[in-house]
Parts: sequence; C-alpha cells; structure tokens
Amino acid sequence: MGAILSIASTTVGEAIRRRVLLIILMIGVLLLSIIPSLGVLSARSETSTMIGTMFAVLRGTSALIAIVLTVYMIPNEIERRTIYTILSKPVQRWQFLIGKYMGAVFSLGLMILLMSIVMIILFQIFQRPEPGKLLELARQSVLYFIEMCLLAAVAIFFSTFVTPLVNFFLSIGMWLVGTVLNPLYDSIQSNQGASPAMQMVAKFVTSILPNFANYDVKNPIINPGQQIQNETTYYLGTAGYGILYISILIIAGIIIFDRREV
Amino acid sequence: MGAAIETRKLTKTYKSRALGKINVVDHLDLEVEEGEIFGFLGPNGAGKTTTIKMLLGIIYPTSGEGYVLGKEIGDMDVHKIISYLPERPYYYEHMTGMEILKFYGSLFGINDREKFQALLEKVNLAADASKTISQYSKGMQQRIGLAQSLLNDPKLLFLDEPTGGLDPIAHTEIRDLILQFRDEGRTVFISSHELSEVERICDRVAIINKGIIERQGRLDDLLRGGRIEIIADGVNQAFSDSVRGLDATVSFHGGRLIVDMPEEGDVNGLIDGVRTAKGNVVSVIPRRRRLEDLFIETVSSAKGKHDGEAA
Amino acid sequence: MRTNKSLYVVLAVIVLAQGVLHGGFLQKFWGKNYSPGKSGVSAELSPDQIILQLFGFREFLAGILWVRADGFFDQGNYDAVLPIIRLCTILDPKQIDVYATGMWHIGYNFTDEDQRSDRRYVPSALALGKEGARQNPNTYEMFFETGWMWYHKIDDDYHQAVRWFQEAGKRQDILPARRNLLTQAYFRNGQVSEALDLYYNLLEAAEKRLKEDGQFGAHQQYATVENNLDTTLVRMVQRGWIAQHSPEGRAQNWYATGSYDTKPPFDVGFSAKATVLSDRVIRFEGTWNVLPIGTRVRVVLRDADYPRAKRAELDWDMTDSVSLDPPRNLTYMQDQLFVRNRRFNRKVDMSKDPTMYPFLAKKYIIEFYYNPRSAPPHIQDKFGYSGEGFTDSKFRNLEARPSVKFVPVGKDEKGNTTEWKLEPLTGLQQPVMYTSLEIDQDMVRRKGEWVDKTPVIKTANYREPAQGKEKEDIIMVPTLRAGANN
Repeated sequence: MGAILSIASTTVGEAIRRRVLLIILMIGVLLLSIIPSLGVLSARSETSTMIGTMFAVLRGTSALIAIVLTVYMIPNEIERRTIYTILSKPVQRWQFLIGKYMGAVFSLGLMILLMSIVMIILFQIFQRPEPGKLLELARQSVLYFIEMCLLAAVAIFFSTFVTPLVNFFLSIGMWLVGTVLNPLYDSIQSNQGASPAMQMVAKFVTSILPNFANYDVKNPIINPGQQIQNETTYYLGTAGYGILYISILIIAGIIIFDRREV
Repeated sequence: MGAAIETRKLTKTYKSRALGKINVVDHLDLEVEEGEIFGFLGPNGAGKTTTIKMLLGIIYPTSGEGYVLGKEIGDMDVHKIISYLPERPYYYEHMTGMEILKFYGSLFGINDREKFQALLEKVNLAADASKTISQYSKGMQQRIGLAQSLLNDPKLLFLDEPTGGLDPIAHTEIRDLILQFRDEGRTVFISSHELSEVERICDRVAIINKGIIERQGRLDDLLRGGRIEIIADGVNQAFSDSVRGLDATVSFHGGRLIVDMPEEGDVNGLIDGVRTAKGNVVSVIPRRRRLEDLFIETVSSAKGKHDGEAA
Repeated sequence: MRTNKSLYVVLAVIVLAQGVLHGGFLQKFWGKNYSPGKSGVSAELSPDQIILQLFGFREFLAGILWVRADGFFDQGNYDAVLPIIRLCTILDPKQIDVYATGMWHIGYNFTDEDQRSDRRYVPSALALGKEGARQNPNTYEMFFETGWMWYHKIDDDYHQAVRWFQEAGKRQDILPARRNLLTQAYFRNGQVSEALDLYYNLLEAAEKRLKEDGQFGAHQQYATVENNLDTTLVRMVQRGWIAQHSPEGRAQNWYATGSYDTKPPFDVGFSAKATVLSDRVIRFEGTWNVLPIGTRVRVVLRDADYPRAKRAELDWDMTDSVSLDPPRNLTYMQDQLFVRNRRFNRKVDMSKDPTMYPFLAKKYIIEFYYNPRSAPPHIQDKFGYSGEGFTDSKFRNLEARPSVKFVPVGKDEKGNTTEWKLEPLTGLQQPVMYTSLEIDQDMVRRKGEWVDKTPVIKTANYREPAQGKEKEDIIMVPTLRAGANN
C-alpha cells in the first residue's frame, strides 16, 4: 500500500505541473466565468441556461483532462525509463498501475473540485439560489467526478497496449458512445420497427460497454418540479457501478501489463 | 562465496516483421561471484541492457534460467536487496534530491531522514539536497542515481554506464565509490563502454556480442600474453642474427638492437647474452595486453566467424 | 508474468455484476427520471435527438434558436419558424413556451388571404401539444393549451376539451382562473351537472383562498365564480334544465307542465345554395330563421375522399406525429356563415390561395353544420344546453355528433393518466343541423361543360328570395321566447 500511495503522490505532483493540463483547466474556468453573461442571449430562463451550460463545460473539460492526463501516463514512464528504477525495486507491476491510476484520480479530483467551486461561487453571485440548489450542483459534480474516474480507467486500460495517439481517440470514442448508450437503448427499445434481434444486441451492448450517461443527472436540476423516489439508492448504485467497472478495467489492465515488454 | 548472478542458456527472442525471429540474447551462460566487480562489455546492440532487464525481472526471458542471489529472477524478495542504476536515468524533475530519496525509499518502506542525509553526503550532494532535479547537472543526476541505488543497502548493484557523459573528475569520484562498494562486500555488475575504467576496477569481465558471450573470465587471465621490448647497444650483427630465431621481432641498425618478444620468453637469457657480447642493455619495457585490444580482437573474430557461418 | 488464474474468475464475476446492476436498475431509473427527453415520442427514430444528447448545451442552443424564431415572427416569415419550433422541441423538450407558441403558430397563423385558417395543419398542432404534454407531465400548461386548441380553434368534439382541461386541473400549478374554463367545456359537452358541481367547488376554493390571501386576484376570482354561478343557475331554471334533471322536477313533471324558454323546439328552417361564380369562387347563401344575431353556420368544402374525414370536420386527433408539411394535394376549406336578418350570404374566394386550395381531386363535398352547444348564451337560452329547444324539419341530425366522454383507464408509475377510453353519456343526445351537397372539380374550376354555365347546387328546400333582396323575404316563425306570440 505504501508503494501505491508513493507512486500516486508522485503522479499527482507531476500532473499538476503539466502545462497542457493547466491550460485546459484554465480554459474551463474561463468558460465557466463567461457563462453567466450568456443567459441573456437565450429565451430560456437564465437559471436553466446557466446550469445547463456550466455543467456542459464542467463535464467536457473534465473529460478532456481525464483523457490527456492518462493517455501518456504509462508510455511516458516507459519512454523516460523511470519505470525501470521503480520496477527494479520490490514493486509489483500491479502496484505500479494502481498507483498511477490513483494519482490520476487524485489529480482529476483536484481539478474538478476547483472548477466546481468556481461554478458554485458564480452561481451564488448571479442567481442567489436557495442552499438546496447549491447542494444539487455539488452532487452532480461528484457524479461527474466518478464518471471521469471511469473514463480515466478506460484510458489507463488502453494505455497498457496501444500508443498514446490511438488511445486518445479510442478513449474519446468510448466516452461519446458511452454517453449516448441510454438514449440509444431507449430509442431502439421503443422503435416498433426494430427487430427482437436488434433489441437483444442493443441490450447486450449497453450492458457490456461502460455507460457514462448514468452520471448525467442534471435534467431535474434544470427543470425542477419532479418527484424522484429512491434517489439515494440510485446514487449509491451509480457509484457502485463505477467502482465495479473501474475494477474490471484495472484488472484487465494488470493482466495485459503483466505480460507487456517494457 | 556463492554466485551472485547465474544464468543457464538464458535466451530472449524478439519477432520482427522485417527480420523474423532474432535472438537478442542467445543461450547466455553467465556467472558472477559475490563480492566482485564484474564488467559486462559489448558493442552497441549486443544485448547488454536486455540481459540486465531480464535479470531484474523487468522483461521476461523466452527460455533458459536465471538466478540472482540464489533466487529465480523476478523474485520480489531479491528486489529488496538489489538495486539498479540505468543508463541515462530520468528522475521526476519537480522533485528535489531529498524528495527523490524519500520517494524511492518509500518503495522499500524506508523513511529515515538521517539515512537519506547520509547518502546525500556520501555522493557529495548534501549541499544541493533542496534543489530540484531540473537544476542538477548530468553528473549530479548520476550521483543522485547512485544514492537512490544505495537506499536499501543492496548486496548487488546493477550499474549501466555509470560514468557515461561525465567529466574526468566525476569519473574518478564514481570509480572510487564503486571500489568502496566492493570493499563493503557488495557485488557490482557494470555494463560499460569505458574500457579503461573497466580495466582499472573490474575483477572479472564478460564480452557479449550479438547476444552470445564470446569471452568470460578474470581480467588478468584474459589479458595474459603481453610482450616485452628490449633495446641494447654495442652488439654486432652476428649476435643480432642469433636472436632472430627466438620467436621475437628483431631490428638491428647501427649497432642498436631492438627485440620485441613474448613476456613468457627467455628475457633474462637475452639480457645475459647482451652482456656476454659486451653490449649495453638500454631498456626493458613490458607492453601489457590491453582490454581494448581484447575487445576489438574478440568482436572482430566473432564478426568473421558469424560472417563465415552466414556464408 | 504468470497471472493468477483467480484474477480471471474475479474479472468474470465483476463483469456480470455490473451488467446486472446497470441493466436491472440503473438504466431504467435513469430513463425514467433523468432523461432529458423521451426518445420514443414518435414511432420513427430520430437520429438528431440521439446525437444532440451529447451536447450539454442543448438548452442554451434551444434558447438561442427560439430568440431567432422571434425575429422570423416579426418579419412575417412563418414558414421559417416551423423547423425552428421542431428543432427547439427536440433540443429542449422542457421549454414549454416553444410547444405552446408552436401550437398556436401552426394552428392559427397559416391562413389564406381572407384569414381563413389552413386546417390541414391542425392535426400537427395537436400532435405538438400532445408531445409537449408527454414531455412535461408535471405542469398544467401543455394540457391547458391542448384543451384550448380543442375548445377554441376546433370548437367541436368537446369531450376532448373536457379531457384536457381535466388533466390540466389535476396539476398543482394551474392558475385558478384557468381552472374555470373546464366548466365551459363541460357545458359544451352537455355535462351540465358536472359543470355545476365544478362551479360550487371553484366557489369553495375561491372562498378559502380569499380568507387566506386577501389579494385582489383572490377577490376577482371569487367574484367571477360567484357571478358565473348565479347566471348559470338563472339560466338553468329558465332553460328548464332544473325542471328536467332535478329529482323533484322529474317527479312532478315540471318541464312538461311548465313554461320554459326552450319550449317548444324552434325550427331553424335551414336552406342553402352554392353558386360557383368563377374558378374557385363560390357564393353561399341561404336561410336560418333565427332573428337575433349570433348564429354562425359552419360550411366545409373538402375532397370527397379526404382521409379521416368526419361530418363537417376531420379526425383532428388523427396523428401523434408532428409534420411541418401539410397534405398539399388535398383541399379543405372551412368557414363560418354569419346569419343576419335570418339569411346568410357569403362569397368565399379561394382563387387567391391555390396552394391552400389545390382542387386536384375529382369529387368534392360541401357540408353545412350547426351545433347548438356552441351557440352564444342568448341563443342557447332558446336552444338549451344540448339542443332541447332546437330543431330543423329537414336537417336535424342525431348521429353526426355522439355524446361521449373520456374515462381514464391507465396510469403510469407517477399516477398520471396515460390511457383513456370513450364512454357514451347516458340519456344525452347531441342534435345538430347537418347536410351536404356534392360538387365536382369541373364545377369548382369552371372547366369543361361549366366554362360558360354557372354551376348552382342547393338543398331541396331552397327557395330564391321573392324580390331578390335577402332582407325582404322573411319566414314567419314564432319568436324565440315561448308564449310571446300569444
């Protein structure tokens, strides 16, 4: 455990100094800052527009950070040979992989936390909402964080056997597909023209691929007035799902990385 | 003393689309004794780094066996008592010298600040402990690398080009450290191109070429077969002719005789003969065989053999 | 390098576990509570809707587009607004304003040069309303707007207005004044008891609200309801409804023995003639023996085989699919013939709008229709709530409009009604005036044999005015108030 935490800590130190990530983070914060002024352009209420757009920026920026952070993580260590000095110590490969992943998660958490704080502060200044609303914003941010942990795990998994460039596009593609899985599934299931075989395939695919849409719960925040029952159970469920799927990806990554020539 | 490193027919095969299967390391039989400084030599691409990586468990052999300190390669218990300094090491640039030691120390479960400080003093980096790696020179980075390789008090050190790119003073410092390691009872496995350094400090060497060990043994034994040059004045042509048959290269001009003969030859007999011939021995200069000569000779003959086999 | 075999087992178990968790709970829960829009709003798959899910900016984009639409409204470019409406509703199904305004735009704003509505759009307008209600089931607005479309624009099939206003009334956020409209819908659907009950409930609610909140709005609501109820009660007496429907009235046969405004039924004496003056220009004239102003007789001219056509209307509820393109090969004209001095005379010029009136079919039908349920109050004082005091010796029709109501039969998990079935209103008839004439393309277009001949079609009882002037020829009939001519 000590080795894992040390590797994680070093990874965080490196990540928060990477210029590319800091630039993406800065752009995200900048976009969040200008959103309150865009509300007047839209016919929708300013609150709904602000919430919807801020969440979109938060989610998009976090996804980009998660991918850029992790696609180079393992290949960089191999290229710079830092991995040799680590693996020559009593450190198993799985400890190294998990340490790097946890470092990515901590770094991601810090960046998402920063953006969320900016978002909440801006919302408080421009909308003066009731405290319950701020709590809802924070809750969605937490779910986005779990979503990005899952995305980071996808990228780390791919990084054990593909190059960073291929990994970048694979990870983005996986995220985009995973985001539309729920509405795609709904459409196919409710489409009269879809054959039973197609529906079975849809069910199978949506059960196997990582689902990122589950973490997008902003609709009732933007359009309040809905009564949702068992919400806490759902949140625990999505967190559990995230943990399970992350475990799958990390274990699969370990199996592949164990065999990989470095 | 037992063997610190032992390999039997250790092989690493890579597949390449262009060249098919290549044995980068080919049936390696290596033996390194405990407490010695072992030099592992070879041209570029000979398989030195691949061998080291296999011994460290970083990559996996295709076939054969390898043992480090009596345990099979890859054993995590062994990793607690060995260390590795790679060629051109890279450390996290944002970390200071002290933080580097803390990080690598944590991988062993070591968190002893005094020990880290002592190590920094040992490698002459105590004054620069709070500078970041990005501020270190090449030599300083090499020294911090040595410091991290000593964190766990290793019985066996793998040093890959430890003096690569360093100035002469740094060379000397590193060399003295390595000799100190041996005095402390550690085994040092050095892979290097710096033949003069290897010749000075190594007890035994192996020369690898195209994945095969061409020569292996004690340095003295390998370098045996030097020559001696004897210069004498005041002897005549007849004496010079008498010396020619002694498996020597003889040159006689203007009364000066120059004889170049194997060191095992009858040197004393020749000197006595010069005196008997009323001549004058001007100088007796032993010319010892150099490691460089051995290396070039080994690699060239190996090339010829492989070319012949290929033909 | 040797991976522990148990790791594979663990991996397989976790893959299974996440599949069960996701497929068995998370996916359904998300679809029910967090989906930005139900993907199955129409039978056809909409790729745009799926792709646009990716963008969290959907609400923002929809808002900007809607502002753009406003610009097109101002310019009068109504066609350009249609695709924007559709796009906005796809991007942001929770933006109710788009649905409501879109419905109004589609249903009301496409007209000919004489401001006659292009009713071929009405099914799409209703479909948009229904979709808006499905997407926003927790607020009253779209239910109310859809009901209003039935009540005001279509002004027929009042059981539909009743259903939608009822649904609107179930939502907590309905404005009190809007709840009142259900009473009028009940009246028009012949559900007088329900209307009266609702009035009393509204009065009670208004009284309660007045006590809690003494604001002007509460006063106004109370006064309105009280006034309406008073007037209604008086009318109910005068029209004989109380006599016919109260237990005491029935027991003592008040209606048969008493003198009520709705007795005896008044024969409106409808007759009509249609003269094709020129290509697609038709004059409708005829008689309607009701002196007080306020009668509007509906005239419809449509393709004889117009799909889903009913008597003097279409099956407006025919589709759930919003189409921005009406059936351009079909003709449907509907207008009101205002009666003055017991006659009507109106020229309908369809020649200026050939796209709206293509007249591509061979055969057409002209329908005349009148429903006493939609009469203004002063005329209904004679005709009664359900035509008790109304008749026409030639054209009274009891089948054209059945008396029915919707009954909820299915609900979703949140208790919202999702399925209804139609039930007849027992013992209640809906007498209307209805007749039709046939006409063909050549006659309407003045082609073939009709190039030089003027096509004239009329009801069998039509008589030309004796002196050629409409107001001279008056048919003597009893006044509308019973006993007044004695």
